[in-house]
Amino acid sequence: MRTGLVQEGVALRFVPMASTFLFAILSMVPLHVPGLAVATPAFVLMAVYHWTIYRPDLLPASGVFCVGLFLDLLNGTPYVGVSSLMLLTARIAVLASRRHLADRPFPLIWAGMLAVAAAAACCEWMLTSLLTGVALGSRPFLSQAVLSAASFPVVTYFLAQIQRAVLPRD
Amino acid sequence: MTAAHRVVTPFLILSSLLLIVLGKADMLMFENVRVVASDALAPILSAAARPADALANGIQHVRGLLDLYEENQRLREENSNLLQWEQVARQVARENGELRKLAHFDPKDASFAIAAAVIANSGGAFARNILVDVGTEQGVARGTAGVTGEGLVGRVAEVGKRTARILLLTDLNSRIPVMVESTHEHAVMAGDNSDQPRLLYLSANSAIKAGDRIVTEGADGVFPPGLPVGTVASLGGDAIRVEPFAELARLDYVRLVDFGLAGVLPPNAVPVAKSDKDPKAVASIRGR
Repeated sequence: MRTGLVQEGVALRFVPMASTFLFAILSMVPLHVPGLAVATPAFVLMAVYHWTIYRPDLLPASGVFCVGLFLDLLNGTPYVGVSSLMLLTARIAVLASRRHLADRPFPLIWAGMLAVAAAAACCEWMLTSLLTGVALGSRPFLSQAVLSAASFPVVTYFLAQIQRAVLPRD
Repeated sequence: MTAAHRVVTPFLILSSLLLIVLGKADMLMFENVRVVASDALAPILSAAARPADALANGIQHVRGLLDLYEENQRLREENSNLLQWEQVARQVARENGELRKLAHFDPKDASFAIAAAVIANSGGAFARNILVDVGTEQGVARGTAGVTGEGLVGRVAEVGKRTARILLLTDLNSRIPVMVESTHEHAVMAGDNSDQPRLLYLSANSAIKAGDRIVTEGADGVFPPGLPVGTVASLGGDAIRVEPFAELARLDYVRLVDFGLAGVLPPNAVPVAKSDKDPKAVASIRGR
């Protein structure tokens, strides 16, 4: 482990953090696809899920907290901190079940993502409804969860390629 | 895992909760941070939006080629229709000009207009806003209306030096005084993060029906009366819903128009910076 870190070099160890921040920016890009603006896939959640399974040491809780704040500030939501809370909770859940996820067949990992995305959407919906004082329509939250689960294979493939290219296995 | 590691996550979770509570107590608390962050990231967001734009244009192009014939047919029909309307418009404009002269009318409409590219939209499921690439440096002020050729998009809620955030009509926090164009019945259009905002405070015996045009009422002093907003989409169920004219999901460019009305804006408004720094960008839309 220790020699691994030395070999990787300092710069490469920031790849998980950098890719997660990049995904935060990606989720802001206007795609001009009808229906998609209503809910963009939760790219950041996917990145946090991926890195927490494979390299939790390189995406620590503090990094997750920061990317959550970054996301909320860019999103223009009045409730800064909601994404941090949601992402940190997801990280705890994934860490707890990491033994059942790492190096398992892909469908299992995918099912895990589906569960995390659904739980996150549910939490976000409840928290936002509570904060605004009205029961919001649940559709945007549900579509975001479905879109996230649907686009996860592509996202995780992309992240796995980066991981294989720049980070040796721990 | 060391003891220090074990306390980090709970500490960060508590911090998140604290930030949420602070944000709830004072909605404007994070505004300055948000504005600075958007300004700082504007070049990156701009650059990221370009390939996405190109991709979307490419898809549009291929789609356009596929139904070129039908599109042509449709445009021809539309064109003949529009030519008739042009005649009407010319006539009405002339008549209007004469009546204004007679009434010594002092026009108070658009004093400032600028085109802006959309560089980001809120990706989350709980906010509906867009970020555009103009700010106080170009003379944009808080409350400026965002419009497209089709109709109203929203209004500037936050403005930085180089960026402005437009709260869309569909956002949960958007409230716009509107009226039914044909009957002049007043109502408030309230967003709820769905695609179609609701109409509130319409009188119980209202004669409103599906397809009615909804326009701004002008009472807020931010928008002039009569700016097109949308059509009534559905009456049944829980609420009367309005389908906005502007395609909010695929905005590339919006026009920011200051109608020169000293409207009622939320407190803590950013200092108004109406300037003629860039005379090319600033153009009077009167007479267009």
